[in-house]
Amino acid sequence: MVTKEGEKVVSRRKTQILAIDAGGTMTDTFLIDDQGEFVVGKAQTTPGDESVGLLHSAADALTFWDMTVEDAFPQLLTGVYSGTAMLNRLVSRKGRKVGLIVNKGMEDHHRMGRAIQSYLGYSYSDRLHLNTHRYDPPLVPREWTRGVTERIDLFGNVVIPLYEHEVAPAVRELVDMGVEAIVISLLHSYKNPVHERRVRDIAQQTLKELGADLPVFASVDYYPVRKESHRTNTTIIEAYAADPSRRTLELVDERIKERGARFDIRVMASHGGTISIKANELARTLVSGPIGGVVGGKYLGEALGIKNIVCSDIGGTSFDIALINQGDFTIDTSPDMARLVLSLPLVAMDSVGAGTGSFVRVDPYTKSIVLGPDSAGYRVGVCYREGGIETITVSDCHVVLGLINPDNFLGGQIKLDRERAYQAVKEQLADPLGLSVEAAAYGVIELLESQLRNYLESLVMGKGYSPAQFACFSYGGGGPLHTAGYVKGLGFEDVLVPAWAAGFSAFGCGAADFEYRYDKTLDINVAYGASDAERRTAGSTLQEAWNELTEKVHEEFEKNGFRRSDVQLRLYYRMQYQGQLNDLEIESPLTSVTSAAEWDQLTATFEDTYGRVYARAARSPELGYTVTGAIVRGSVDVPKPKIPEEPYAGETPPQSAFHGQREVYWDGKFIKADIWEMEALKAGNRIRAFAIIESPATTFVVPPGFEAVLDTHRIFHLRQTSGE
Amino acid sequence: MANYDKATIEELIDGTIDFFKLKEMLSSFKDPGRFDTYLEILQERVKWDDRILLPYGLHLYVVQKMDGKRVIKCDCGHEFCEAHENWKLNALIYVRDTDSQLQELYPALLAPDPQWQIIREYYCPTCATQLEVEAVTPWYPIIHDFEPDIDGFYEEWLGRPVPQPVEK
Repeated sequence: MVTKEGEKVVSRRKTQILAIDAGGTMTDTFLIDDQGEFVVGKAQTTPGDESVGLLHSAADALTFWDMTVEDAFPQLLTGVYSGTAMLNRLVSRKGRKVGLIVNKGMEDHHRMGRAIQSYLGYSYSDRLHLNTHRYDPPLVPREWTRGVTERIDLFGNVVIPLYEHEVAPAVRELVDMGVEAIVISLLHSYKNPVHERRVRDIAQQTLKELGADLPVFASVDYYPVRKESHRTNTTIIEAYAADPSRRTLELVDERIKERGARFDIRVMASHGGTISIKANELARTLVSGPIGGVVGGKYLGEALGIKNIVCSDIGGTSFDIALINQGDFTIDTSPDMARLVLSLPLVAMDSVGAGTGSFVRVDPYTKSIVLGPDSAGYRVGVCYREGGIETITVSDCHVVLGLINPDNFLGGQIKLDRERAYQAVKEQLADPLGLSVEAAAYGVIELLESQLRNYLESLVMGKGYSPAQFACFSYGGGGPLHTAGYVKGLGFEDVLVPAWAAGFSAFGCGAADFEYRYDKTLDINVAYGASDAERRTAGSTLQEAWNELTEKVHEEFEKNGFRRSDVQLRLYYRMQYQGQLNDLEIESPLTSVTSAAEWDQLTATFEDTYGRVYARAARSPELGYTVTGAIVRGSVDVPKPKIPEEPYAGETPPQSAFHGQREVYWDGKFIKADIWEMEALKAGNRIRAFAIIESPATTFVVPPGFEAVLDTHRIFHLRQTSGE
Repeated sequence: MANYDKATIEELIDGTIDFFKLKEMLSSFKDPGRFDTYLEILQERVKWDDRILLPYGLHLYVVQKMDGKRVIKCDCGHEFCEAHENWKLNALIYVRDTDSQLQELYPALLAPDPQWQIIREYYCPTCATQLEVEAVTPWYPIIHDFEPDIDGFYEEWLGRPVPQPVEK
């Protein structure tokens, strides 16, 4: 923060939120103060005890504010951790030695996996190119898998009773082989858990007799949901990678408390909330990074009264989009991570491998420019000599065009070499295409932006909406550079670029609710014109599931000392017309369902939602209804980051914010761009094209045909001034 | 554009390459120097001096003789025929067309019915290396796998004329 006189204010700064992103090589720390301003610190990740790297990283961040960890931590209201240690453990197959018990005859199902797992995470061209497909080694090898005889069919009927005498020998064999945990996953156990629970109890009994202290994970206790591969994978991850990571999290929690922190650290979870490190289902903290931005978008939307939002995030490697509709994001119930299909609720996002670090190449056969899908990531591009990159990236084109200030990248922490970028773009791109270096680099930016624009448009229109109904939030380190390019002509209701765009994901993590979400698969079928008794039974089946899940939510919060009365519960159900393939997740208008009339309220709410999502004319009550799942979300109040609030200071930006002009190549000619310092602009300031608004972590471009106005919350609104 | 060193291409030829390296190669545009490096390695590995114009299959090459003829040649030096002809007609052929012969290859009950499908194995008459196997209906003519347009390949893809024989 800079005062009118330009001197730094250090003592009055109030650190509010700590967000930690512990990556495989570097740990990033974001500290947010009560003005929404943040500092970023970096330090090497210290595997084994991540808290060491974390404290170094926090200390590094705080040097920008002339503070120490001991000054800052006691002021903090809350802290959220997200890390990739668990993911790395999984991807590098360095998890616990897990034994698996499945149905006899099904011992190979985990090893074989689903065909899609052989190409998950691949580019479109590689998906079509069979030679690239590969099955990763299974988390549990065949040797450590045992079968027991039993069968429950998909309706939950016992078809073959459990052969109880087979369980103990299976457990003993696994123990003899030295497994460190046992996972049980039987067919259709989500529908009827008796056999799986019985196997679990016998296994625990056998372990006790053997004097072996091994944890046992029954899928039904964790993820009682349909789809065998997904449920088995997820339960195995719980035993293989998640549970062993708990100690890491406890250490982090202990260390920050030793430095004066007065809160329990929470972990970002896939469903868009944060959970305690004591949570039963820890595997859902596997994913973290990109969803932070969506959570932040939802939070900011609530604060500003915007209900429909397109969140768009450009980082170094990808462009991620998520829709917030009527104030809520969509949940994908069977996502994939680390090339495994899973049954975790994940905030639905669409990603395309195009970011500022994406490699730029010329297809040797068609002579066309190809972007990505791979990228230089944190190594920026050829312009960053120390990065050791030889193939040009989108960032190199930015440098060539003059859009990025090579001396002020990441606040000058990294010096970029314009001449190096220029030569590389000339050799690799301009000369082969017979273009001038600037024209070639501009072509890359245009191509990228038109790809992003098409992608954004198809995503919004493909879901049946029009961009005019949405506000577009643009953030991420590379977002504001391209915002104008990718929203041009789409007609969004508003385009918002927060001044803290680069730290928006961390802001989002800090803004996440302390929330548990539990899902359970159901198959409640109610025909059109069903009797009162049938509808009443359907309602009570759903209610039983809600009760069961509510109990799980309460148990989790009790671990952190919250009372039942502190917990706000929200009940959801997934419903579809009988025979249709897609269900909708709907918040229940009622807190309990016991009568036929109350059931009718649920179907009426479904009809409304269906009409809104698809079309009113497509509603088909004559098909009858199916409830496919029950969901309970419970949250407690936690401090959230404050959205900055500043007095209106008029349209004319202060002269102190003006940093002169720089020559920029744009659309066939060199023009003078006004350079503004983002931090020095005041609420109400109107910035006209051509302008480049710089801050240490991001660059915001206002090209011809656009203007940007900073509001009182330090959010820029980008407006199109001329039609195109 | 990617460029791989000779050791990597040798691993590729031998099938010992690490999968992730292979995946990276498969997903990238082909490196411009690949063909020449590949040929160089093959040429070093054979004991004879004829110049290899094109790899033809496992153990087989199209080579250039001093009189300009293009001949299909085995690792061991056995020469089959000219490049436009079907070398299989000059190979030793073992036909599996009875149940017992087919069952030597397959687990119980999984062998094809020889009335519908037979297996023909082609061997080099000099070194007895198995060079090719085809699974066809019994009446099917011997398949001519590959008739390369060597001039077209050199001139239009590599952008240079086919090398001419030189006295050593």
